[in-house]
Amino acid sequence: MSYIPGQPMTAVAQRIEIQKLRQGDHLILGFSIGGGIDQDPGQNPFSEDKTDKGIYVTRITPGGPADVAGLVMGDKILQVNGWDMTMVTHDQARKRLTKKKEDVVRLLVTRKSLEKAVKQSMSH
Amino acid sequence: MFCRNQTARATVARGSALEMEIRRGKFRNSVFLDTSQDSDLQKKIDHEIRMRDGACKLLAACSQRDQALEAAKSLQTCSTRILAYMSELQRMKEAQVMQKVTRRSSDAGPMDDRMPCKGKVAISDLRIPLMWKDTEYFKNKGELHRCAVFCLLQLGGEIFDTDMVIVDRTLTDICFDNAIVFDASPGFELRVELYSCCSEDDYSAGSTPRKLASKLSSSLGRSSGKKLRASMEPGPVSPVSNGGASPLLLPVPSVPGPKYHLLAHTTLTLSHVQDSFRTHDLTISGNEECSYWLPLYGSMCCRLAAQPHCMTQKMMSGCLKVKQCGADLQSWTKVYAVLKGTSLFCYHRQEDVEANVEPAFTIGINKETRIRAAEKDPQSKVQNICISNQYGGEEVTHTLTTDSREDTHRWMEAFWQHFYDMSQWKQCCDDLMKIELPSLRKPAPATPKQGSLYHEMVIESSDDLSSSVSDILARRLQELELRSQLGTSPTWMSLFEENSPKIVGRPRPCTSRLSGHSPCTPHRLPRSPVSPHRCAQMGLLSSDVSLTSDSDSHCSTSLCSHHYGWPEPSSNFPILSSSPSRLRPRTLSLDAKLSTLRGRGLGGGGVGGGGGNCHCSCQPPSSSLLGPSPISSRSPRLQHSTQTTLSCSSSTSSSSSSSNSECSHSPESSEGVPFSRPSPVRRSLRNLRARLDPRNWLQSQV
Repeated sequence: MSYIPGQPMTAVAQRIEIQKLRQGDHLILGFSIGGGIDQDPGQNPFSEDKTDKGIYVTRITPGGPADVAGLVMGDKILQVNGWDMTMVTHDQARKRLTKKKEDVVRLLVTRKSLEKAVKQSMSH
Repeated sequence: MFCRNQTARATVARGSALEMEIRRGKFRNSVFLDTSQDSDLQKKIDHEIRMRDGACKLLAACSQRDQALEAAKSLQTCSTRILAYMSELQRMKEAQVMQKVTRRSSDAGPMDDRMPCKGKVAISDLRIPLMWKDTEYFKNKGELHRCAVFCLLQLGGEIFDTDMVIVDRTLTDICFDNAIVFDASPGFELRVELYSCCSEDDYSAGSTPRKLASKLSSSLGRSSGKKLRASMEPGPVSPVSNGGASPLLLPVPSVPGPKYHLLAHTTLTLSHVQDSFRTHDLTISGNEECSYWLPLYGSMCCRLAAQPHCMTQKMMSGCLKVKQCGADLQSWTKVYAVLKGTSLFCYHRQEDVEANVEPAFTIGINKETRIRAAEKDPQSKVQNICISNQYGGEEVTHTLTTDSREDTHRWMEAFWQHFYDMSQWKQCCDDLMKIELPSLRKPAPATPKQGSLYHEMVIESSDDLSSSVSDILARRLQELELRSQLGTSPTWMSLFEENSPKIVGRPRPCTSRLSGHSPCTPHRLPRSPVSPHRCAQMGLLSSDVSLTSDSDSHCSTSLCSHHYGWPEPSSNFPILSSSPSRLRPRTLSLDAKLSTLRGRGLGGGGVGGGGGNCHCSCQPPSSSLLGPSPISSRSPRLQHSTQTTLSCSSSTSSSSSSSNSECSHSPESSEGVPFSRPSPVRRSLRNLRARLDPRNWLQSQV
């Protein structure tokens, strides 16, 4: 998942649709994110390449909407509802996920196991 | 009436009525003598004094800095213990005298005060964050200002010390892994004291002779001379016993060597007890001018848990007949009931209790339960006991009856005592808090990285030694497996299982050849950076595994076959095997093996403090990148060192702890109870603080 900024990047991605859960006044998704272009990428425990400043899923609340939709801890979020998440600050990422007017977020995520699965199926 | 020959004496005023009575023989002198408690204390005092003398001698004799620091630490502990025991002894004697005097003067009725039950109080995972100035932090030249610190924990008469930790500016928190369990009553006060001692060679008074030291202190500049003088100041006064008469206070013989000074302290009580990590404020004594100064952030995180005995032990048990209100009035169920914790367990038969069979039913006994004695049953003339609970919205009442009046009385008494205990222990009685027994955690072998005892040892390869080495390793492995809560790692186990038989089985052609050759250069086995999704065991292998061979460079096939053996179980490890096939078995030095075990063990079970941020705490894979142990790492892996929450205690803290933490490097924004969001004002404040700190990796909950 390492890439050179400015060059196109390819990744095996999965679409995940999460229905936000309404709890009183708040809409929650049930996971935590980390990362961003304003954060220190060396402290990301999930990234393979320690210069990757993308947004990663750091925690999933079990039983929450994200868990139900199939999001896994360690996923890198590439897009949210069409908006890019590979070159955003942490706060921008959070805002794009928590828009009050949207009830559903459609994420494009990638993870290492997807690539491996594709490789394996291709080699057979 | 002063008797000098007695080990204890009560002072009785001359001419007082008490003295007259004693003279007349109405009271025997033995009434005023030691009870067994006193003599116990005296024995403890003597023991501590002997320990202290031993520590002084060791301090004077040792040459290495670390040993001196350890000896000074035990000296400090012994002195504190002696002081504590002395004051305890004094108090007990005073109490004795007061008691006897008052009892004589007034016929006090039976003591009606109810005593709450005692319990176990455990403090563990102490973590004290430091706040280095960024100039200090980024300074790369100049020698490291190091301090040796340890904590003294005092509750009642018990004093325990933690292990010593060397702190320098690469460390962001001081972590003490020890878990200490005390026996306490609910009104306990646990005093935590942090002692520190400067550990730089310039200021070691032990190595410089007195004359030179005084010349130096006068010729050095003002601030450094002050520091030097401070490090050589005489220690606190401390009592010694002189064989039975009342103890005199003598100053501690001033031993040249490192001295610990109190840097910070705090007192914890029942209100601080919680099942998760909490942050407490520290009172700091000392200022920047002191040699032992460390820039503390001002707070301390720890887990203080309490298990009152009413929650863990059976408070009362016996045979009862129970009837549930609402059911038909004539059906009494005979049960064997056990009162423990927050419930009354009712088993069909007494044997079920030992057999661990599920109880027939359970009646909750908690703060909302109401128990009252009902009217006498017309048939049996025995009072019934009614227990009412609110389950959901409705009230459920159970009626109990026993066979005799005394039994009923005893049960009521037990219930009253139970309620009293619960009211005294407050939040500890809501749920049973887990306390890990410290005996399971054996300390890691304390071989420092730089120079260890084993480097100085010459290991001559021989059959006996290598078999004993593998025995030691196997034992160490078992120890560490008990310690580390990651469970066994089959990969490593197979490594060592392959290792030992191969070493033992190999015939040794010539042992004499080995001693003649110089040790070959250590060759390292680099491992590729492991992906974080591996289990933690393998992740820890990313720390350096250095195998030093003490035998000569013509090493044997046994090691090589290990190399060949290793890729099999774990095919993902690209291991560089640099030795071509040789004939003689190679013995790995003990230190090399221990350092690999230590790296694994320390990373696995060591750093447990998770006060501020436990974001990835629930999943073991997240802890895999701990790699280098915190002491040796230069870049502060804050998130990781606090995230290695492998002890089961901290896994419960993941959600609730972080909202309490006020540490500067707790950067979480809106991390708190899941499914809740703090107000935007608080969030923006936290965001601001977090964003301003460049060392953080923010995480947000969405």
